[in-house]
Amino acid sequence: MLKGADIVLKCLRAEGVELVFGYPGGAIMPLYDALEGSGVRHILTRHEQGAVFAAEGYARVTGEVGVAMATSGPGATNLVTGIADAKMDSVPLVCITGQVRSALIGTDAFQETDVFGVTLSLTKWSRLVRTIEEIPEVIAEGFYWARSGRPGPVVIDIPTDLLKAKKEFSGPVKFTPHARPADAKADGGFTDTIVAWLLKSAKPVALVGAGAKLSGAISELRRLLDDLNVPTFATVHGLGAVPPQSPYYLGMVGMHGTRAANMALHETDLLLVFGARLDDRVTGDPTRFAPYAKIVHFEIDPAQLDRVRPCDLPVIGNLADTIPAFQAELRRHTLPDFSEWRAVACGAERAELDPRGLAQPTIRFLDELFSRLPQDSVVLADVGQHQMWAAQRYRSSTPRGFITSGGLGAMGFALPAAVGVQLARPDTCVLCVSGDGGFQMNIQELATVHRLGLPVKMVIIDNKYLGMVRQWQQLFYQRNYAETDLSDNPDFVEIAKAYKIHSFRLNEDAMREFPVSSETGDQIDRFLRSPEPELLVFDCAPEANVFPMVPAGAALSEMLLEEEPSQ
Amino acid sequence: MQTFHIRYRNTQGTLMRILNAASRRALDLPLVQAEPAEHDHQVTLALDVNQKQVGQLYREWYGIADVIKVSAGGAHAAEWATPHPPVGVPVEESRAAARA
Repeated sequence: MLKGADIVLKCLRAEGVELVFGYPGGAIMPLYDALEGSGVRHILTRHEQGAVFAAEGYARVTGEVGVAMATSGPGATNLVTGIADAKMDSVPLVCITGQVRSALIGTDAFQETDVFGVTLSLTKWSRLVRTIEEIPEVIAEGFYWARSGRPGPVVIDIPTDLLKAKKEFSGPVKFTPHARPADAKADGGFTDTIVAWLLKSAKPVALVGAGAKLSGAISELRRLLDDLNVPTFATVHGLGAVPPQSPYYLGMVGMHGTRAANMALHETDLLLVFGARLDDRVTGDPTRFAPYAKIVHFEIDPAQLDRVRPCDLPVIGNLADTIPAFQAELRRHTLPDFSEWRAVACGAERAELDPRGLAQPTIRFLDELFSRLPQDSVVLADVGQHQMWAAQRYRSSTPRGFITSGGLGAMGFALPAAVGVQLARPDTCVLCVSGDGGFQMNIQELATVHRLGLPVKMVIIDNKYLGMVRQWQQLFYQRNYAETDLSDNPDFVEIAKAYKIHSFRLNEDAMREFPVSSETGDQIDRFLRSPEPELLVFDCAPEANVFPMVPAGAALSEMLLEEEPSQ
Repeated sequence: MQTFHIRYRNTQGTLMRILNAASRRALDLPLVQAEPAEHDHQVTLALDVNQKQVGQLYREWYGIADVIKVSAGGAHAAEWATPHPPVGVPVEESRAAARA
């Protein structure tokens, strides 16, 4: 006879789970009581949101399912932002929540919330467990849905009495899904059409999204892109999928994408999309998105098709299946010479990211950091201006090397996510870049970093504003800086010291020399190579802006390269 | 007004997920009729939707784990726009047929 809690842990082990992130509380105490000796290591964060973001970080860097645990009521509701984040960014995540005992469900008992109902629209699948007998099936099915197709979040809510109850346990089970028409894969017919369109095209381009990494088809994609040799760009989650030194690569596309990428996307007559949702941050005004192009959309999740603009040819399936099929057909033909188009799209005039921006000390600082990173490092960016600067300057071909909250844009993501990444990759340099606003949203996870001795390298780009909102206020709200002033920020160096984490400050003056002084360079090198956690606070100009920028509602071709003189 | 028939396994939350796909788009739900259908369940919805929303709904419904099949009925106007219960819908007949 085993307790329900023991059965849960055995089923987690059967799914390959070694690490869970969580925070204990009343209803989930039986599960915590059973942890010792279970083979499942628990990482205590200092807030449930920290736990779910850490689980996401673990999942994003490994591709395996991240697991977060929390108690009922506030514990469960504190997971919600992370669950929404995992849904938007296709992160395989299983959240296990304790629930009040079965007899009390629906009575507004102490710490009771309907977490099943609260998360219904945010999850891919969820269950409120009703009997101890169904625990193995529910966990097996939950993990199946978290991993399958387009990965996503799952919630399993278990009443505390079921965790304490006992039953005979005959072992974990396997879940076999029922077949559905929606599971049908693309047949081979699409390849002829795409090749025919390519043969007629004068200005083809390729757009790479997160699906390239999630599918595990990076090598296949890179071979295909080499064959195509057409201007190529990536979404923020596609960064790292295409080697940045590729002669046809134009960087990031979208609201803060490069001028070259956005212009090529505007002018193209054939857009090949590989695993990207094409959300509004990528498309700009959807009615003027790729206005001259036929769109071929390789996508695993049919629900992502035609969201903002109808595609001309959907190719449903895993890129690991559809790319080789496409490439096989492609190699039977000789493509037109796209060199003239490539020369225009990738030319030096357009490739200049932002002539003004290159002089910005913060961009110089990020360039210094990134250029000194050990190979295969993982960079995490929080949400805001620093996120976009980091995305613009990131130059690595590590497929899961750039991690950020892209779809949801959840401030406070990076620090706890870095905990999960560092635990998954203990020998890798993990660089966490945050803003002063976002860092304070989960600043308590410094305690987790310290307790575990994780050598996370934390950077705060401190401009003493909620910088991205302030930028919008400057550009579109006549500089009405309503409630974005953070000039009374605490001293982050002193805060880190209170958590027993070494920290220091650099200011912009250190970046005005080019190249930077050997003293500054050594400081950065020491920071990146320290075996201990470190915090570097970089004092950024309060009104530094991120350019290029496509104003909300504008077409990609209407990006701003600097402040309008009149404003 | 367009009618949709969605066949699903009657597991926890599946009907709510189906309805949520409509409600998150602020679509009114003048008719919702869920009932057993052979070994599964079926819900019939009447929605005032445009062509783009039809495509989105189809794909979103198919993305729900326990949805088996989605199909559309004819376009209806007046009879589906009336308050609950919809006038002239032979609920008992269709239920009996589904159970047969």
